[in-house]
Amino acid sequence: MAIDQVYGARKVGRYLLLTFMAFIVIFPIYMMVVGALKPGNKVLVNPLLPTDFTTGTLTEAWRAGHLGRALWNSAYVAVLITLAQVITSILAAYAFAFLRFPGKTFVFVAFLATLLVPLEATLTVNRRTMQSLSWINSYKALTIPFLATAFGIFMIRQVFLTIPKEMHEAASMDGLGRLGFLWQVAVPLSRPTIGALTLFSFLTSWNQYLWPTLVTTNEKFNTVQTGLKTLKLAAIDKPNLVIAGTVIVALPIFVVLIAFQRQLIRGLTAGAVKG
Amino acid sequence: MSRRVLLCMVVVGGVFTASCRSGESLTNAGIDRAPTPVTASTTPGQTTVPPTTVPRKLDTLPPCDVAALDAAAATAPVEITFWHGLSNELGRELERLTGVYNGSQTKVKVTLQFQGGYEETIDKYLQSNTDSRPDMVQMPEYMVQQMIDTKSIVPTQACAESANYDTSAFLPQALGAYATEGVQWSMPFNMSVPVLYYLKPRFAAAGLDPEVSPRSLEELLATSKQLVSSGASAYSLALDSDFDGGGGWYIEQWLSKSGEFYADNENGRAAPATNVLYDGAGGVKLLTALQSLVTDGGAVYVGDNASGQDTFLKLADATKPAAMTIGTSAALGPVLAIVRGGIIPGVLESEVGVGPMPGPNDGKGALVGGASLYIVDGKGGAKAAASWDYMAFLESAPSQSQWAAATGYIPVRNDALTLDPIKSLYVTDPRFKVAYDQLTSSLPGPTSQGPVIGPHKAVRRATALAVAEVLSGADVQTALTKAAQAANDLISNYNSQNK
Amino acid sequence: MKRKRRDSGLAALMLVPSGVILLLFVVYPLIKAVWLGQQRCGVTKCTNNGFDQYLDAFRSNEFQDALIVTAKYALITVPIGLVLGVALAVLADKYMRGVGIFRTIFSSTVATSVAVASVMWFFLLNPQVGVLSEWIGGIAKTPGLLQDPRSALWAVSASSIWANLGFTFIVVTAGLQGVPKDLYESAYVDGAGGFSRFTNVTLPMISPTLLFATVVLTTRAFQSFGEVDLLTEGGPLGKTTTLTYLAYGSGLPTSNDDGLRATVSVLLFAVLLALALVQFRGLEKRVHYGN
Repeated sequence: MAIDQVYGARKVGRYLLLTFMAFIVIFPIYMMVVGALKPGNKVLVNPLLPTDFTTGTLTEAWRAGHLGRALWNSAYVAVLITLAQVITSILAAYAFAFLRFPGKTFVFVAFLATLLVPLEATLTVNRRTMQSLSWINSYKALTIPFLATAFGIFMIRQVFLTIPKEMHEAASMDGLGRLGFLWQVAVPLSRPTIGALTLFSFLTSWNQYLWPTLVTTNEKFNTVQTGLKTLKLAAIDKPNLVIAGTVIVALPIFVVLIAFQRQLIRGLTAGAVKG
Repeated sequence: MSRRVLLCMVVVGGVFTASCRSGESLTNAGIDRAPTPVTASTTPGQTTVPPTTVPRKLDTLPPCDVAALDAAAATAPVEITFWHGLSNELGRELERLTGVYNGSQTKVKVTLQFQGGYEETIDKYLQSNTDSRPDMVQMPEYMVQQMIDTKSIVPTQACAESANYDTSAFLPQALGAYATEGVQWSMPFNMSVPVLYYLKPRFAAAGLDPEVSPRSLEELLATSKQLVSSGASAYSLALDSDFDGGGGWYIEQWLSKSGEFYADNENGRAAPATNVLYDGAGGVKLLTALQSLVTDGGAVYVGDNASGQDTFLKLADATKPAAMTIGTSAALGPVLAIVRGGIIPGVLESEVGVGPMPGPNDGKGALVGGASLYIVDGKGGAKAAASWDYMAFLESAPSQSQWAAATGYIPVRNDALTLDPIKSLYVTDPRFKVAYDQLTSSLPGPTSQGPVIGPHKAVRRATALAVAEVLSGADVQTALTKAAQAANDLISNYNSQNK
Repeated sequence: MKRKRRDSGLAALMLVPSGVILLLFVVYPLIKAVWLGQQRCGVTKCTNNGFDQYLDAFRSNEFQDALIVTAKYALITVPIGLVLGVALAVLADKYMRGVGIFRTIFSSTVATSVAVASVMWFFLLNPQVGVLSEWIGGIAKTPGLLQDPRSALWAVSASSIWANLGFTFIVVTAGLQGVPKDLYESAYVDGAGGFSRFTNVTLPMISPTLLFATVVLTTRAFQSFGEVDLLTEGGPLGKTTTLTYLAYGSGLPTSNDDGLRATVSVLLFAVLLALALVQFRGLEKRVHYGN
């Protein structure tokens, strides 16, 4: 009697529609993969089903774009930022959810207010700060400004608030202590939310584009995003090389996405649920 | 109506109604201009003679001691970084040359850092402080004044004098482009001028001699008409409005070919420029001619050429191709390499024709384009000396011969022409010599020295907007007047901010 | 009392790491930017001009143009992206064999960063290298879709709609799964058809999700930089110069003037604040949060 089952002709129609839409969504990706496998002299020819393939373009793009280095930089920066954001968020969320201290509401609102400030409003001054600290071309510049996020603090505080206060009281009384409670009770109980935050932070920092272009001038510090820009500008005469680079750069994130689909959905929809 | 809807309307309405718009440019924001702007000189040709300064200007600038290299390199090689903006084959050839240099000696080790293009190099250089700047930087020709104003460079003349460097073999135009106030600020490295590229088979199909390209604008129009009316080509000429191409750089070239100044005070070389002059009769005549190429001559406007190759790709268009385009001579090497690679179906390397850029004075004459090399101050004497050593290698006759042959740039010195590979290439493939001949046939006199304007890049961009409008059919005089006004504002703002 | 003081020490300790970062890299730069925004910078120094610089900048042609471009861009990408996302989500929200594959495909574009998506579309839309220009224009268009002032913003929008589709799909799918099944069944029993069930049950029930997606997509549109930088560099004729690109792009009045950059980015902040206000005031009333 389940009404969200469909039968017969309507089912066939729905499959056809789904397939058609899937084709449209996946078409750009398909063309890129085909482009990456085309030999260099076939760049201007666009058959839907190409006949000759080569992996040479991919290896050349890997070398020309220093993509190995860029992937390493991106991974290093994104992992560092993610770890730091998760830890600083858990700590601050604990203070806001379980501890009593004067001016708590004010401090919380002040933290939350930073969410209203778009990144773009601060980048020029931050770049000047990096310059005066001589941090241009360093992992410090790429990571330190992003080690904390009010979004993460808010998200984790919300889930901490669902943990009964009594558990905290009890834990602080007996041998566990308050830090013990945080790491052994509160954090495990909030694992889905923390997982979602982890993935959200990772994707956000992996995808950073504007900031890295402002604070790096050395290809050694290219992330995959800025590396792709550099490759596009350097090899404008070899479109297939750039296309191959795009495919290489896109691949790891596809893998991450498929592996962590559920956390991603939670991370992306965290704001949609009324808090 | 609820208050909320009202609020919404006020915000949205307030934001978008024309009443918000001041009609001013963003470049004028915050600047309180005197009611009557003080213009020193607006008449072309009239010059303000700079006061003769004693001691000479060079002695007031950062010094250079080339002996510092040997002292420092005694223990370990001096490592320098060099920012450049050369992409595709040009960048690869610079890498090869630098590899040769690094392998040939042990005193200096150069690390190249590609910044993404000239624009990115400029932005990053200007945003950086001494600490994050490189030891040596390549800047396009329109950056001379701004580089001087950063007060961040060691004039190459200081190094040249310290090294007793002989510059007698250099083309006077090459050095002159980067010398103002009696100081050689930088050394020319990659020197280019615009030339005409065309496809010989389409000329032949139109009944034109494929070995003869149009020289004057009138010939260009006639050729264009014939290419289209004969059905040999869907379009005649592919035109762009890139500020560093058809929108800006070419305009300066055309004015110079007709013996006119682009800016007052002899193109800003006798005294700082205060006004552009292209909204006068010469500019109007020129742009009217360009417009008629599109309206009567079957030329096609391809946009602002953001990728830098849209004009060339238009020649290779599978369905509606053009037969000619104007492009930098530096594209010759890369274009021929692409054609050789067989990417473009149906075009052979031998079928690409090159002629001088058509224009006044039968296309003769050109302003130096391309880029020059600057030594960055504040990095220590050893680094400056090491940069000079590397620079001297890039400037040497063998390097310039190799560089010009691989790219299409014009050698900056005449003795490079006596060495292979360029010596034999100029004989076997005269297409490479077109740019050289065009530059060396320039009219004598100051109109053959390119403009030096503080905000030169921004001025070019303002000009490019006018060219884009004109090529899309706008009224020539109106567009030029507007562009000139914007350019003059830019110049006066710049001058007031960099006093 | 004693308890609270001990709490305070611990709380301070735990708030310091994030507090310091947010203070140094969000609060301080914002205040500093407001000050910097009334200065104009030459190549070596900046000079104070007074706060009327904000008004001048706001009223300038470039800012007003960028504001209109950004608004147009948002008005194109948000509704189309939302409709497509909802359509795909509803289409795939049935128990059918193999629907999981379709879900993975529809959410896949979330894995493409702005750089990847933009470079992809740069080549797809290139009149010579790509295929799309050819198909959409019938013949190879000159100038290409990205170079033609009339189509450039639409071309950039296409890339952005595609890149954001995965996000919208995921969010709406999650919203759909939160709709209680008995609501559909009672509507079914009442004789409501498919379309009527969609408008009377589905839409109201997922309205919080739609509000969230609208806010995120609009904010993204107003903060778009990478796609413009990689696809058009703000051109042709400034037709794709969005507010963020006006603040940080190259070849613009702001490019080599940190003061003017700060002016424009602070104004962008103000516009985003006003927008958030309008969105929440205007939309929240219509959103159904269940009981």
